[in-house]
Amino acid sequence: MPWPTTRRLIGTKIQRLDGVEKATGRAKYAFDIKRPRMLFAKVIRSPHAHATIKSIDTAAAEKVAGYRALYQIKKAGASVFFAGDEILAIAADTEEHLEDCVRAVRIEYTVQPHAVREDDALRSKTNTTGGPGGNNINAAGDFSTDNFENAFNGLAATHQADYGVGVISHQCLESHGLVAEWDAKQENLTVWASTQAVPNTAEGLRVHFKLKPGQVKCITNYMGGGFGSKFGPDIQGIAAAELARTTRQAVKLMLDRAEEVTVGGIRPSAYGNVKIGATKEGQIRAYEVECHGTGGISRGATVSFAILPYVYGPAIPNIKRRHRVARTNIQIARAMRAPNHPQNSILTELAIDDLAARLNINPMTLRLANLPPNDQAEAQANPRTFVGQRATIYRTEIEIIRKMCGWDRAWHAPGQGGKGVVKTGLGMALHTWGGGGRGPNPTRVTINQNGTVVAQSSSQDLGTAQRTVTAIIVAEILGLQPTDITVNLGDSSFGPSTPSGGSTTCPGTSPAILKAAETARDAFLTSLAGRLNVQRNQLSIAPGVVVNMANNQRIPFRQACGMLNVASIQGNGDWPTQKELQGNAKLREEWTTRLSNQGVGGVQIAEVKVDTETGVVKCSRFWAVQDCGLIINKLACESQVAGGVIMGLNYALYEECIYDRATGRQVNPNMEFYKLAGIADMPSIKVHMHDMPERGVIGIGEPPTIATAAAVGNAIFNATGVRVPIAPYTPERVLAALANRRAGNG
Amino acid sequence: MNDQETPSTSPSRRDFLYGTGAAAAATAVTGLAVAETPAAEVQPAGATPASGPGALKVTLNVNGREVQANLEPRVTLLDALRNYLDVTGCKRVCDRATCGACTVTLDGKVVYACTVLAIEAQGKQIRTAESLFNEGKPDAVPAAFVRADAQQCGFCTPGFVVAMKTVLQDNPQATPAQIEKGLQGNICRCGTYEQMRDAIYALCNQKRT
Repeated sequence: MPWPTTRRLIGTKIQRLDGVEKATGRAKYAFDIKRPRMLFAKVIRSPHAHATIKSIDTAAAEKVAGYRALYQIKKAGASVFFAGDEILAIAADTEEHLEDCVRAVRIEYTVQPHAVREDDALRSKTNTTGGPGGNNINAAGDFSTDNFENAFNGLAATHQADYGVGVISHQCLESHGLVAEWDAKQENLTVWASTQAVPNTAEGLRVHFKLKPGQVKCITNYMGGGFGSKFGPDIQGIAAAELARTTRQAVKLMLDRAEEVTVGGIRPSAYGNVKIGATKEGQIRAYEVECHGTGGISRGATVSFAILPYVYGPAIPNIKRRHRVARTNIQIARAMRAPNHPQNSILTELAIDDLAARLNINPMTLRLANLPPNDQAEAQANPRTFVGQRATIYRTEIEIIRKMCGWDRAWHAPGQGGKGVVKTGLGMALHTWGGGGRGPNPTRVTINQNGTVVAQSSSQDLGTAQRTVTAIIVAEILGLQPTDITVNLGDSSFGPSTPSGGSTTCPGTSPAILKAAETARDAFLTSLAGRLNVQRNQLSIAPGVVVNMANNQRIPFRQACGMLNVASIQGNGDWPTQKELQGNAKLREEWTTRLSNQGVGGVQIAEVKVDTETGVVKCSRFWAVQDCGLIINKLACESQVAGGVIMGLNYALYEECIYDRATGRQVNPNMEFYKLAGIADMPSIKVHMHDMPERGVIGIGEPPTIATAAAVGNAIFNATGVRVPIAPYTPERVLAALANRRAGNG
Repeated sequence: MNDQETPSTSPSRRDFLYGTGAAAAATAVTGLAVAETPAAEVQPAGATPASGPGALKVTLNVNGREVQANLEPRVTLLDALRNYLDVTGCKRVCDRATCGACTVTLDGKVVYACTVLAIEAQGKQIRTAESLFNEGKPDAVPAAFVRADAQQCGFCTPGFVVAMKTVLQDNPQATPAQIEKGLQGNICRCGTYEQMRDAIYALCNQKRT
């Protein structure tokens, strides 16, 4: 079952099917659901970063007008480990009364010592974050190639410096939460949730309430942003469902903005001291990093340890790395768009440019000299895998972007960014991501006698245009237009599907959609052949028609549907099982390296203007070249890349969670002091998709946000000749770096 | 707003409105003189006599239709539209006049619905993004968003659409730069600004260079 070699729709620019509903405000997100007699609920949270609950008094709250029920999450005596930790939830008849109820709750705490900054956590002599261990530090990796102690001997240039990036928040515009409603018998639960994982969210609730399969239904027709932070019901979702059961009424619980920022997800920080060295020809021979970061109370690594240094690792013979996790009294980190890769990029790409300056060579040249080599054995075994051709992909993409941005003309030596106050510079960075798909993603395509076509799966459209992807593939196979296809997604009763994380949705669903569409087409033509008294192989599909080669008749599709002697024809498609794939190399090759694939490169270049008097950095132009195998919808694909770049520019220049050492609280859990770009802040972004259809479908969500901040950081260095070590590169930090240089340091 | 009116050190906006009397707050946000007057005596121009804190019957004109709801005076226009009238094109995101997701027009002027009280909006024409879909067709502005793919998750989009539509309504000859300026009170997290610029240039019949 290959992809069609002649593609009428796949790979072209197609408007999203639900665009009008969303742009005119008629699309109903979870946050917009209003059920009969619906109550509102809110979680009451600890204001302290670390404390023990002394007492909880809800007597006054329970007397407030409109009060309906409460759900206890933590009891007196329990500990809280971050400001925002959940204690109880209350339901009331209106949001106004709910506010009154919340205000009437009295909770007393015994405040405990906390650490909300990485350096405080590293210094802490006690464990303030719970779990085992006598302090807040976790060893998260210690690796060295053999004989590393001699690695830097005899090299022409070495550079050692600090780099890093702070904690950021997902800041989904639709906050986390759901509406929960039980049926009259209190047996079956329906939730309308803002989630990246529709079946997982239903399953999480099913397990909590110890129900049977099928008793919880999750619906997500539209979804207002997740970026890796929305994979289950969460505590607030469980609380809403509990309150709905207690009150026998529907309950809506969506986080408010401060909650969304303080408990809805963070991306971990990463700070490292990097030493890098190369020969005078520009061969990087050694890379050493000592790094740490925080993912709040999480014990998980904050870098992608095994692939640090990033991208170039396979070309560098001597590597030493050490990583420690500094646990802080902050919410637990959640996956965020290309988890840990931006951190790796920061700890690698900036050092590359600093090394290039030491060597006095063009950083593009240095990168070309140190690309990860094509793995020849892999290339021979299967020419479509990434590792077999990665150097070729990067080389091609660098050549494309070099011409797009006029690098040869525009690049100058660091610090030569102009005579005026405002300095201009160019910077680049590379990235990589997996983005492979898997099953199960059962999809059903139904061709109805009345000429309508319906495609259905439980997968979700996060704004990735998954609904449109589904329609494009089905329409391609049935000779129709995407608007001819009704796509029903986001309903857990449609069966299993894989969560939308890690750029896996398009590659995970597309082959299943293709299979379903082809199965439906074949059943349709078989049925039709019977009606027309011809052989099945005498019928084929052409745009808009069924062609009967027996008599050269071209029957319009809808008319052909009308000839069916059944109400509808169905085709189901899904991945082979993991067991089938493991036991069958040919099947595995078909599904994981032809229909879908994994592994992409990508290169980005930023042009910045740095005001050396105010420290303000403006990204003035941006270029991105990106591969993602077979592109299904070029319009949405380019949108994803530009959007990834903008997310990257945000953490490069503006956004950061700032925590107050004294109170242990975040000082900017909002949108006015948590800075996100508006349209005027953003440059023109030129995207070039490096199409490689022979590789099959690969995900695109994560890659384009990885290299952006490093490209910007390098552009600032190129403009000013001064390295600003820590992102976001705020005016304060730029001015500090410039002052540091003037003072003769750095 | 005066310091003396602030009831606690870190009030939410609703705390503030509740604590000071909604009518006084209403005059504060409309820029009229603020007086320590009992709520019942304050009568903002053009509004029904203020009362509270209990619910009162409020009449709103939403997208050309008169609708009524029983609302406490502290209810914002945004919450009235969403929670009481099921008009949900305006989204609650920051809920404090930063992000623009709740952008609607009041008598043709763009406002953040999260920072207007429902009782203040009485007697005014309220327009939301839903008004830009008629007879089965989107208005030219949302249509341009769709053609340019200037939306991903779409949660911010109705706010941007209303803001852009208003700029063009005020000045049909607006330049791309003027339209872009009209969007500076709105924030998109998915990063659709590049495609928004495509939409803007298309609406101006100009080619982007």
